Amino acid sequence: MDPHISPQSAIETSSTAMPSEAPLLMAAWAVFRKDVRSELRTRYALNAILLFAVSTVVAMSMGMGPLTVSRNADLPIIQAALLWVAILFAAFTGLARAFVQEEEARTAAALRLSARPTAVFLGKLLFNLALLLLLVAVTTTLFIIMLRVQAGNPGLLAALLLAGSLGLVAATTLIAAIIARASVKGALFAVLSFPLLAPLLVVAIQGSANAIAGRGWESGVGSLQVLAGYTIALFTASLFLFNSVWEP
Amino acid sequence: MSDRLRLDQAAKFLLGVWMSGIVVAMFLIVPQYVGLGDAGRIIILHVPTAWITTVAFAVSAVYSIRYLWKRRPADDAGAVAAAEAGFLFCALATVSGMWFANIVWGTPWNWDPRETTILILLLIYAAYFALRSALDDVERRRRLAAVYNLFAAVTMPFLLFVAPRMADSTLHPNCAFIQGSHCDGIWLELNGTRIGQLGDVVLALQGVEQRGDLAVAQVEVRMPGLREVALLEPSFELASGKPADRPEFPGQQFLLAVEGVDLANGRVLLNMEAPGSGLLSNSRTFWTFMAANIGFLGLFIWLYRLRADVLLLQERLARREAAYELPA
Amino acid sequence: MNEPLRLIVNDVAIEYGARRVLAGVSFELCAGETLVVAGANGSGKSSLLRVICGLQRPARGTVVIRTNGTVLRPSEALHLLGWVAPDLYLYRELTALENLAFFAAVRGIRCTRADLEALLDRVGLGGRGDDLLAAYSSGMTQRLRYAYALLHRPRILALDEPTVTFDARGVALVEQVIARQRDHGITIIATNDPREERFGDYILRLAQ
Repeated sequence: MDPHISPQSAIETSSTAMPSEAPLLMAAWAVFRKDVRSELRTRYALNAILLFAVSTVVAMSMGMGPLTVSRNADLPIIQAALLWVAILFAAFTGLARAFVQEEEARTAAALRLSARPTAVFLGKLLFNLALLLLLVAVTTTLFIIMLRVQAGNPGLLAALLLAGSLGLVAATTLIAAIIARASVKGALFAVLSFPLLAPLLVVAIQGSANAIAGRGWESGVGSLQVLAGYTIALFTASLFLFNSVWEP
Repeated sequence: MSDRLRLDQAAKFLLGVWMSGIVVAMFLIVPQYVGLGDAGRIIILHVPTAWITTVAFAVSAVYSIRYLWKRRPADDAGAVAAAEAGFLFCALATVSGMWFANIVWGTPWNWDPRETTILILLLIYAAYFALRSALDDVERRRRLAAVYNLFAAVTMPFLLFVAPRMADSTLHPNCAFIQGSHCDGIWLELNGTRIGQLGDVVLALQGVEQRGDLAVAQVEVRMPGLREVALLEPSFELASGKPADRPEFPGQQFLLAVEGVDLANGRVLLNMEAPGSGLLSNSRTFWTFMAANIGFLGLFIWLYRLRADVLLLQERLARREAAYELPA
Repeated sequence: MNEPLRLIVNDVAIEYGARRVLAGVSFELCAGETLVVAGANGSGKSSLLRVICGLQRPARGTVVIRTNGTVLRPSEALHLLGWVAPDLYLYRELTALENLAFFAAVRGIRCTRADLEALLDRVGLGGRGDDLLAAYSSGMTQRLRYAYALLHRPRILALDEPTVTFDARGVALVEQVIARQRDHGITIIATNDPREERFGDYILRLAQ
C-alpha cells in the first residue's frame, strides 16, 4: 500500500492501491454489455439491419413469388444463394456500427485509455455475433415463410447458418475496426469485406443447398469443417493484428 | 555509387533486350498449334503474368509484415509498389485469359478455379487501394493498409481450397497443381455408376462397343445452356491405347475424349480436353516460355522497385516543402 | 520499498501531416511534482498531454514511466494514467453511473453503486448519477470527466484546460484535486490561463 494516501474519500478506500490488470474475459464482457445497452437505447444498428433484411426478403418474394420444386431442379441452390446474399448485405449495413460509433461519438479515447485492446476486440466481436445471430434468425424465418422454402434438413441448415455467422463475424470485426478510422466508411466496409468472404460464401451456400434439398448430415460435414477452419484462422489473425489497428 | 548506377543501367538494358527477344520469339519460334491457331501464342504472355500476380501478392505481404514489425516508411513503399505492379499484371492476366478463353474455349468466363482466384485477387488489390485512399493520416494509412494486406493473405489458402470445388474440373492445363480437381477423368460403368460430371457437364454412359480396332462409347451429354440432350461418340484406339475421335461438346470448343477402356466389364475412362493441353511438350515453346517467366519476373522487380523509389522520393519532397513552408 | 514514480519525456516531437507542432521536448518528473505546460492555442500543449497518455503517436521521441526500478509496459501504464481534456468524451446514451460502472469494470476495479455515488458527490454531481449524459450541461460534463479520471486513482494526472467551463465551486474542486494528487503522484496541467500557472512547481512554455 502507498503510505501517502489518505483514506478520506470513499473511492480511495474502495479500490486497491495498485490496480492490477483486469481479467480479460470480464473486461470483454463489460464492453459487450455496454454495447448492448447503448444499442438498445439508440437502435442505430438494430433498425438498419432488421429493416434492410425485411425489405430484401420482401423484395425477393414479390419479384419471384414462391418458387416450386416442380418447375426447377436447381431450386435448393437458388434459395440458398438468395438467403446468403440477403444475410450478407444486411450484415454489411450494421456490423461496422460497434466501432464506427466509438469514433464518431469520439469516445474511443476514453475506451483506449481504460481497456486493453484485446478486451475491446473480444467485446465488440461478441456484440457483432449477437447482432448477426438475431439478423440471421429473423431473415431465415421470414425467408422460409415468404418464399415457402421447405428445408429438408432443418438441423443441418441451422448448423450451417451458425457456422457461417461465426465466420462472418470473425472476418468483419477487424475490418470494422479498420474502416472506423477511415474518412468514407459505409461503402468501404463492403468493399474490404467481400473479397475475404468469398470462400465462406461459396461453402456456406453449397452446404445450405444440400440442407434445403434434404440431404443427410454427411453432405454438410465438409462445409462445416471448412467454415470452422476459416473462423479459427481469421479469429487468430485478428487477435494478432488488432493491436496495430487500435493503437492511436 | 557510380558503379552501382552503371550496373543498374546494364541490367535495364539487358532486360529491354531480353523482353524484345521474347516478343519476337513468341511469333517466330513458337509453332502454331492445331485447334488454337495464333491464340496459342498467348501462353508466353498469359501464364507468366498470372503467376507473377501471386508473387507480387506474396512480396507485398512480406513487406507488410516488415512494416508492422519495424515501422519504416521504406517497407510500406515496397508493399504499395509490389501491390500496384501486381494489380497491373493481374489485370493483364485476366484480360488476356478471357480473350483466349473466348476464342478457344468458346466462353470468356466459366468459373474455372483459376478464374475464380484471380478475380478475387483483383478485388483484394482494388480494396487495398480503396482503403489507402480513404485514410488521411500517413502513419495510420500505412499501418491499417498493412493489416488489411495480411488479413487478406490469411484468407488465400481457403480461397485456393474452395475455388476448385465450385467446378469439378478445370480447362487449364497442368491441373495437377490445382488441389481437388479431377484431372484424371472419371470411370463410368454400364453396370454400375453410369452418370458422372466433368466441370458443369453431366455425362451418362449409354453403351460401349468394338468397331474394328476402335472402341466407341456412346455418351449422353447435358450442360447449362443446352436445351436438348446431346449424344456424343468418342472413340479409343485399342492398339496404341490412345484417344482416337474426340467430339466437341455442343456449342463449346473443348473436347470429350476416351482415355481408357475395359471392354470386358463395360468400363470407360472419360475426360475433357481443352485445346491447349500439352502445349509445353514442344521444346521450342517450353524454352521460350521459361525465358518469358524470367523476363516478366525481371520486369516486375524493376517496376516495383522503381515505383517504391518514386514513392519515397515524393514523401521526402513533401517534407521538404513543408519545412520551407512552400505553398502546395 | 517504493522507488518514487518517474515520468521521463525524451525528445518528443509532434507533427500533423508534414507540419511540425512541437520539436524535441524533454523533461523528467517525480512523484509529488506538478508541471504546468503553458502556451498559446496551437502550440501543442494538448498534443503533448495526449502523447504522454499514449493517445497519440509522437513523430519522434519516447515517453517512459518507471516505478520500482522497472519500465512499465503500455498496458500497465494505463492504470497509472488519468486524463481530463475538452476532447474526452463519454457515452452520451448512458447515465453517469452507468458510464463509471463500465469504466470500473473494464479496469477490473470492484466497486459498489455507493462507491460510485460517493465519487460523483466528490466532483459535485451528487444526486445526478441517474441522468443521461445527453442531458448534462457543459460544466457538469467537465465534472464527470474528473470522476472518470479519478476513478482508478491514477498516479499521473494529465489535466488539459482543467477549469474550462467551471464556476467558482468547480475551480475549488480542481484546486482540491491538484492538492491531493501532490501527495502521491505527478500532475501535468496544460493551460493558457496565467492564473493557473500558480499550481506548478515548474512551468514549461511552448512557443507558437
